[in-house]
Amino acid sequence: MLAVSQALAEAGIEGFSAETRVGVAAGTTVASQLNNIPFYEAYRRIDNPPLDAIHDYLHANLAQAVGDLLHVAGPRMTIVNACSSGTDAIGVAASWIDADLCDVAIAGGGDELNRVALAGFWSLGVYSSEPCAPFDRDRAGLNLGEGAGIVVLESDAHARRRGRKNAFQVAGFGTACDAHHLTAPHPDGRGLHAAISAALAQGQIGPAEVAFINAHGTATADNDRAEGKVLARIFGPDVRFLSTKGYTGHTLGAAGGLEAAFTVLGLREGWLPASMGFENPADDIPVAPIRGRTAIAGEYAMSTSLAFGGNNSAVLIRRIA
Amino acid sequence: MTSRGVNSKSLPPVAVLGMGAVTPIGRELPTIAKRLSEPIEPAPLLRVSDDLLADPTVSRGLRRADRFVRMAAIAALDAWTQAQIACAGVAIDRVGLIVTSGLGPHGRGFKFLDGILDCGDSSALPTDFSHSVHGVAASYIAGLLDLRGPSLSTTDFECGFEQAVLLAQCWLDQGTCSRVLLGAVEELGEVLIRCASRLLPDNPPFALGEGAVFLTLGPSDAPGIAHLDATASAEDVGLLILDEPSFFPQSAPPPAGRHTATFTPHFGHTASNSAFQSLGALLSLSAGRPLGRLIHSPSQPSPQSSFDNAATFRTLCDRSASLLLTLG
Repeated sequence: MLAVSQALAEAGIEGFSAETRVGVAAGTTVASQLNNIPFYEAYRRIDNPPLDAIHDYLHANLAQAVGDLLHVAGPRMTIVNACSSGTDAIGVAASWIDADLCDVAIAGGGDELNRVALAGFWSLGVYSSEPCAPFDRDRAGLNLGEGAGIVVLESDAHARRRGRKNAFQVAGFGTACDAHHLTAPHPDGRGLHAAISAALAQGQIGPAEVAFINAHGTATADNDRAEGKVLARIFGPDVRFLSTKGYTGHTLGAAGGLEAAFTVLGLREGWLPASMGFENPADDIPVAPIRGRTAIAGEYAMSTSLAFGGNNSAVLIRRIA
Repeated sequence: MTSRGVNSKSLPPVAVLGMGAVTPIGRELPTIAKRLSEPIEPAPLLRVSDDLLADPTVSRGLRRADRFVRMAAIAALDAWTQAQIACAGVAIDRVGLIVTSGLGPHGRGFKFLDGILDCGDSSALPTDFSHSVHGVAASYIAGLLDLRGPSLSTTDFECGFEQAVLLAQCWLDQGTCSRVLLGAVEELGEVLIRCASRLLPDNPPFALGEGAVFLTLGPSDAPGIAHLDATASAEDVGLLILDEPSFFPQSAPPPAGRHTATFTPHFGHTASNSAFQSLGALLSLSAGRPLGRLIHSPSQPSPQSSFDNAATFRTLCDRSASLLLTLG
C-alpha cells in the first residue's frame, strides 16, 4: 500500500469519486502461496494447529486487498505469472483501459523475501551467495530481493476530465509463451522475441526508436544468454540496456512493476545508472549492458520480464510530454 | 500514465467453442450431464477419482505432474480437442491461455515444505518447488498443446473465473488473440481437508470439491456452443444459477419468476465455483432443461419464467460479478 499511495500521489490523485471505475491488477508470487513454515510445523506436530495463517491467507489476495483498502469498484486481478507478474499486470491494466472497463488502473507488483522462495531457488541451483552479476562472464545466479512497484494508468478521457496532462504512456505491450520448459527459457528466446515484437508492433515503432531496455537480467546463465541473444537480434549489437537487479535483487512478482517504474524514471531523468555487477563481457552473450552512468535521449524505452512457465513479457513506455 | 486508449466501446461476448472438465462426478461431458440430473448423496468431500487422471495419451508429458496439474491439463486438453474444428488454421502464437485458481497447487507447496523441514533448506527437491508455483498448470498446458500466445495465471478466492472471462473478452476484441483457452482448477490438498472442519461454519450446506473446468473461447462470430459475457447486466433470463444461497448472506434471494438452480451439491464448493457453475449451465442449456439441484421453479408462467436460452451466474462475492451465458 505504500507503493500504491506513492504512485497515486505522483499521479496527483487524492481520492476517487464514486463514479470513477478503478481497476487493480497486482502481480505477486509469495503472497499467493500458503508457504507458512511455522503453521506447517505446528500442523505436522499437533492435531489442531492455530489456523491464523490460513485465515490471513484467505483474506490477503493482493488485488482484492488493495481494492478493498481503497474502497474502489472495478475489475480486479491478482496475477501469479511468477517473475513476469508485475509486467503482465501492467499489460492487463492497459487492456482494461483500452476496453473502457475502467477509468483508472493501479498496476504493478509486490513481493516479500521468504525463506521458502530462498530455499526453492537454492534447490534449483540458480542462487548466488555473492552479489549478482547480470550479463557478466562470471555470473553465478540471482539474488532475491523484496519490494513493490506500482504505476497508475488512466484513460485519456479521465486525464482530460481532471485537467491532467500525463508525461508518459504505455505505448505497447506484448506477451508470449515459450511452451518449452517449466523453469528454463527457450534457448533462443523465441517467446521473448515474440513479446518484444508484439510490443513494438502495438506501439507502431521500430527497434531503432527504443532508447534503452531495462532487461530482466537475473544473472542466471540461461536467462541472460537467451535474453542477450534476443536483444542483439532485435535491437542490434549496440543496444543500450541494463539490469537493475544488481541494485534490488530479483523481487519476483514485484520485478516488473519496479522495473517499469525505473524505465519511466530513466526516460524522465535522461540518464541511466551502470548495470551493477557487470564487469566482463560473456562469450555466450552477444551484447553487453552499460557500464557507467549513461545519458539517454529518446521517446521510447522498454522493460522486459521472463518467468517460470516460459512466460515472456515486454512493456513499451513512451514519453509524451 | 495514460494508456493507448484505442478501443473505447463495449465488449462483445465470446463464443464457447469447446469445453472440458475433470470433476468429482466424471470427466466425459455426457456422464457429467447425466449425473447432474440425478440426486447426489451428501458427502463431506467430493474428490476427483484418480482413475480420471490416468490418461495414456498424455502420460509422458505429465510424468512429473501431480493431481493439480493433471486435472487442469486433462480438462484443457478436452476443451481444446472439442474445439479442434473451430480452431483449425489458427496459429499457435494466436492462442491465449488463462488459468485461474484460488488455492493453487498448495498440496505440492506443502510437499516442498516437508522437504525443507525434513532435509534442510538446501536439500529440498527442486521439482517440488517448481511445481508449487501457481503458473505450473499453465506451463504444462502450453507445453502439451504447444501454445505460444499470451499465458496468464491468476488467483482469486471469489471471482477469478469471471475476471478471466472478462480479460478473454478484451484479448479477443483487441486482437491480442484469435482463441483463448481459459479454465479454473482447484485441488483438495491433505492440509485443507484436515483443517476444513475448523475453517468452515458448523454444518456447512455444501461439501468441499475439486476439479478443473476449461473452455475454448473465440470471438463472438466464431461457430460455438454458446456465448459468454462478463459485462452484461443479465436481466430477464430463464435460468438463474446460484451457489448455496443459505451460506452467503450477501446473495440476493432467488427471484420468484424464473428457474433457479445450483450445481454445488454435485461439484462441491471450490474457490473457483463459477467455473463449475458455468459447466453446469452449459450442460443445462445443451440439454434444454435445468440440471443440478433446482432451488426454485416458477409456478406461474410469465414471459421470463420459461427455460429459455440464457443463464446468468450470480457470483457470490461483494462485487456481485455475474456471467451471462446464451446458447448458439
